[in-house]
Amino acid sequence: MTDPRSDPFWALSQPITPVDPDPAFAAELRSRLERALLAPEGSPMTTTTEAPAHTLGSYIAVNDARSALDFYERAFGARRRGEPIVMEDGRIGHAELAIGDSVLMLADEFAEIDLLSPRTRGGPSQSLYLRVSEPAAVDATVRNAVEAGARLERPAADQPYGRNAVVVDPSGHRWMIASSPAAAPTARHGDLAYLTHAVADTERARAFYGAVLGWTFVPGRVEDGWQIEGTNPPAGMHGGAATPGIEPVYQVDDLTAALVAVRDHGGQAGESQQQPYGRIAQCVDDQGVHFQLLQS
Amino acid sequence: MRPDPAMGLLDIYDTALPQVHGYLLSRCRDRTLAQDLTGETFLAAVTAARRQPTPPITTGWLIGVARHKLADHWRRAEREQRGLRLVHAAGGEIEDPWDVEIDTVVAHQVLDALGPHHRAALTLRYLDGLPVAQVAGHLGRTLHATEALLVRARAAFRAVYGAADEDPEALR
Repeated sequence: MTDPRSDPFWALSQPITPVDPDPAFAAELRSRLERALLAPEGSPMTTTTEAPAHTLGSYIAVNDARSALDFYERAFGARRRGEPIVMEDGRIGHAELAIGDSVLMLADEFAEIDLLSPRTRGGPSQSLYLRVSEPAAVDATVRNAVEAGARLERPAADQPYGRNAVVVDPSGHRWMIASSPAAAPTARHGDLAYLTHAVADTERARAFYGAVLGWTFVPGRVEDGWQIEGTNPPAGMHGGAATPGIEPVYQVDDLTAALVAVRDHGGQAGESQQQPYGRIAQCVDDQGVHFQLLQS
Repeated sequence: MRPDPAMGLLDIYDTALPQVHGYLLSRCRDRTLAQDLTGETFLAAVTAARRQPTPPITTGWLIGVARHKLADHWRRAEREQRGLRLVHAAGGEIEDPWDVEIDTVVAHQVLDALGPHHRAALTLRYLDGLPVAQVAGHLGRTLHATEALLVRARAAFRAVYGAADEDPEALR
């Protein structure tokens, strides 16, 4: 290999110099871009009446189809697809809604053919599974649904497979609202990955920080453990601490090597433990400050 | 119910457009082609922005999309011209040290005169400063084939550059 700097071809290196194109071209391209952005085709993000029919769809019976259409619009941002088909007796025989990239079909109850809503029948035998884009959207969707008249059956909580919640709508349909787990933390070696608040009494601490910082909490994986919602970096709280304090969790690339380094430099390192989110170990630095190391 | 991440393209359009256009114009040195590729870049970005995981909708990301469009253009051009051109035997694969200071004005005329595959390889490697592995990715070739292509491209460049040095009319 020759020294790359001596390669005369590097004289060609050329940073980008902005050049305004012809204004007419710029305006025309902007309108093409706008049209492309608004075209529903091929876009899984667009909620429109154009939602394609998937192989398996839901066709549900509701107590009052007109109210139900309103409810789904308010609760889940549904859009109407066409006009409902109204029967001679005034019942709605068929209506369609687009929710995200899916179609929900519904009709009023037709007892004569045993088509009854879960409420009339005495409870649901299935759930409708509504996937939303991110964990925070689970909470927002649940709020909208409850405001629109749904009953909260299971509050939003983080599960290993993502955040989810369950609401029951006015017709008795059970909706599971779920997101995929948040993207893996992008903390790099040495970054603060997580903060653990060790307190004596979590109820008091939650009341205090809820009032002061507006934090909200969801139950965590361990007894009296709580996730603080939506902070950056992520944070949690646990109770029963003899010496209250805040323990930072630092990300490391190689936990084994990091624990050796802690001990080599006069600190104390505990045993590493495997957790769903990675391997973690308690440490104390050479002046007595507690911290944790995480390899995720 | 999900917001469309591609909408971010409209927010950065005014600042990104001259950058993308300037990048493409300086690399292909053809006004009409630069506009065509600029249009292709933004429209392709609409689709790309909606992929999961969502890419960062930034000017830098758009330049990357533009680079793909430019490489695609050269690959198309190369396929079209392949049948018309004799195999490039000149120069071979032997590289002796070349100790010159390249005149960049002449150099860009030389690039214009090269075949699309040589021009693509040299542009991505030297004008854009990409590592060889990334050049290979853009050109759809293996790393080894790309290294060999770069050797041939440099040889072809030197041949044309040398001829231009002796006779400036050679580039016309």
